[in-house]
Amino acid sequence: MVQSIKQEELGIQFKAKKFIIWLFVVSSTIMFGGWTSYYIVFSASKGKGHGIVLPELFIYSTVVLLVSSAFLFLASKAFKNGNYSSQKLFLSITILLGITFGVLQVDAWGSMVRTGAFFSNNNAAISLIYVVSGFHILHIFAGICLVFSALMGAYKEIPLQRRIYRMEIASIFWHFIDILWIYLYVFLLLNS
Amino acid sequence: MSTISLHDTHNHDNHDDHGHHKETFLTKYIFSQDHKMIAKQFLITGIIMAVIAMGLSILFRIQLAWPDKNFPILETFLGEWAAGGRIKPDFYLALVTIHGTIMVFFVLTAGLSGTFSNLLIPLQLGARDMASPFLNMLSYWFFFSACVIMMSSFFIQTGPASAGWTIYPPLSALPTAIKGSGMGMTLWLISMVLFVASSLMGGINYVSTVLNMRTKGMDLWKMPLTIWAFFLTATLGILSFPVLVAGVVLLVFDRSFGTSFYLSDIVMGTQVLPNEGGSPILWQHLFWFLGHPEVYIVIMPALGISSEIISVNSRKPIFGYHAMVYSLIGITILSFIVWGHHMFITGMNPLLGGVFMITTLIIAVPSAVKTFNYLATLWRGNIRFTPAMLFAIGLVSFFISGGLTGIFLGNAALDINLHDTYFVVAHFHLVMGSAAIFGMLAGVYHWFPKMFGRMMSNKLGYLHFWLTFISAYLVFFPLHFLGLDGVPRRYYAFTEFEFMQKWLTVNVFVTWSAIMGALAQVAFLWNFFYSIFKGKRAPQNPWEANTLEWTAPVEHLHGNWPGEIPTVYRWPYDYSKPGAEEDFIPQTIPFSQTMSSNMPHDFEGNSESERIQREWEEQEAAAKKAKLD
Repeated sequence: MVQSIKQEELGIQFKAKKFIIWLFVVSSTIMFGGWTSYYIVFSASKGKGHGIVLPELFIYSTVVLLVSSAFLFLASKAFKNGNYSSQKLFLSITILLGITFGVLQVDAWGSMVRTGAFFSNNNAAISLIYVVSGFHILHIFAGICLVFSALMGAYKEIPLQRRIYRMEIASIFWHFIDILWIYLYVFLLLNS
Repeated sequence: MSTISLHDTHNHDNHDDHGHHKETFLTKYIFSQDHKMIAKQFLITGIIMAVIAMGLSILFRIQLAWPDKNFPILETFLGEWAAGGRIKPDFYLALVTIHGTIMVFFVLTAGLSGTFSNLLIPLQLGARDMASPFLNMLSYWFFFSACVIMMSSFFIQTGPASAGWTIYPPLSALPTAIKGSGMGMTLWLISMVLFVASSLMGGINYVSTVLNMRTKGMDLWKMPLTIWAFFLTATLGILSFPVLVAGVVLLVFDRSFGTSFYLSDIVMGTQVLPNEGGSPILWQHLFWFLGHPEVYIVIMPALGISSEIISVNSRKPIFGYHAMVYSLIGITILSFIVWGHHMFITGMNPLLGGVFMITTLIIAVPSAVKTFNYLATLWRGNIRFTPAMLFAIGLVSFFISGGLTGIFLGNAALDINLHDTYFVVAHFHLVMGSAAIFGMLAGVYHWFPKMFGRMMSNKLGYLHFWLTFISAYLVFFPLHFLGLDGVPRRYYAFTEFEFMQKWLTVNVFVTWSAIMGALAQVAFLWNFFYSIFKGKRAPQNPWEANTLEWTAPVEHLHGNWPGEIPTVYRWPYDYSKPGAEEDFIPQTIPFSQTMSSNMPHDFEGNSESERIQREWEEQEAAAKKAKLD
């Protein structure tokens, strides 16, 4: 009886912690919302957007990120089916793709710099491209850490409940930053 | 069976939430993950910051009252900043900036929410601790670092940030604009980023705890109004603080990386700056999108605390519980669409100004609902004038007198005259400053027994209340008239302007009142710190209140309740219920133990309970009749 009560309290604890990630997602969305609102008000009052052709690399990085999300989904599915070895494999692929995404984003900045669209710019809209993509990379970094902790949990075979918890928060966060990037990219495409 | 229990302890040790392991000094007092200890850390840090910020205000009040006099003692303490015994203009600006920043963010946001959300959310909801005790600990230490960094700006040569607590660019965006725009501003920004991180960690934790960790029977509509207020405050914080981060990040890039988010067409001395295309108005939008919800982040916990205290000490159910909750929700939602009333004179489209004016005036409705409900709760109550009760009533007084002037300022046409005058200063110091700090003090007096297991002295409490209450009005009431006369805020010396000179005598009066108010706080500080160690031992339920925290043992336990967490059966405001033996029925008492006082609506339409109650009443009537016969 005592055990089951403790078990129940522990379950509530995990549920509450998972909810924390959701709330973080909300507040992070609002931060990016702040920047895109800045962009909208700025371009409405100046009558101009960033006015450049976004680097092609952004397309590749977007695809990479989408594929990484798919692999994380596969990892969750493998985990649910008890197929732990493919879970580990898919998680590792997710991490690698995440790193690739980061590298591609930095390359994209490089190509923007080469075309003369510098960060410190008299067109704040161009500076904002760097700001939003830069802060998105910070999120990617945090996401990689979460996926890595899920991977470590799988290797160390920690208690099942905690492995589920790590998988869940990694999934919530990783899919969120995936959608977030698509939002930012589409936003920048539409408001050039 | 044994495997299950083994598995369970394994989980438990790894996880350590309400562990039974040995605590060292470091884990108990410094890096504590216990919400009650973290609450005390927030409170004491908040009190220290409040004393510092109050000291700063006395310094600039001295300058305002006696602009031409020298006070050599100031030079002794402040050195170069008060060379010759007079506060320098640069330092004057730094004083008002840091006073505002500390009071708004560090005292009334972190000190108030941090203390009481941490203390009361788990205790009043029946939870062992917060959703994430670790994040909670981190929240305090981020806050602490923010405080240290903010204060460290007093120890650098160019002094603290001086652009006002709203740090409008370009003063804040150009490091060479004024003295305070340099290193001091950088430290301000670092400190605020840490502060926002702390607030978010705290707020996210509070919301998750309220939604997920209530004890059995504690549905949302059985929560005390304190919890509703903390919950909605935390929600507001989660939705608005990230926007401040967004704005601050852009400001940092403008300062240090040559971007032009907020800068355009600026000439410094003879040099034309290269920045072009930005707009300082955009900062104001981003800032006030946080800034206005922020004033409700400050006042709502105070409103929640006073709802609880007024109900307990009037020995009456809170008047209009649902209306109180809905008006809090209304304030929460409306607070996001009123920020433009801070910007009426920025060249805003008059139509847009009209929209912001209407939303602003609508927010008076839920605020008035709350006020009337407080008064109706007091009406014909069996009032116990404890110090906490006095402070709660004081809050209602300030909320009314300061709220009324809000209606003036929310009016776009009147705001053209009143904007940036002392009228604004008087308004927000009453409605947000005094009201919120009175709510906080009420909370301290009320929950001190819960925090420290001892009682504070009532006599010192009364002395503290009356002196503070009177001096707050003496300080802020006259300022309205300065504002109506057009005296602008943040001006250094009233002797420099012909039309302001007649207000010098008023300034002397206000400064003496402020000094009286500051000295009154000594009574509080002595009472607080003395009572922690030497106060009378607190009984289990000193105020005869219904809420769950008073069922937890006086001695603090990690995990709050020694055995099972109590179950909740009723709402928290069953005071002076007709037919009940005592004038309060705690939330943990089931209706089956209070048959003589149950009302039909207590059962919320549960026909089985209604039937049992009816049968009991018939039996009682029959027994009575038999006795009579």
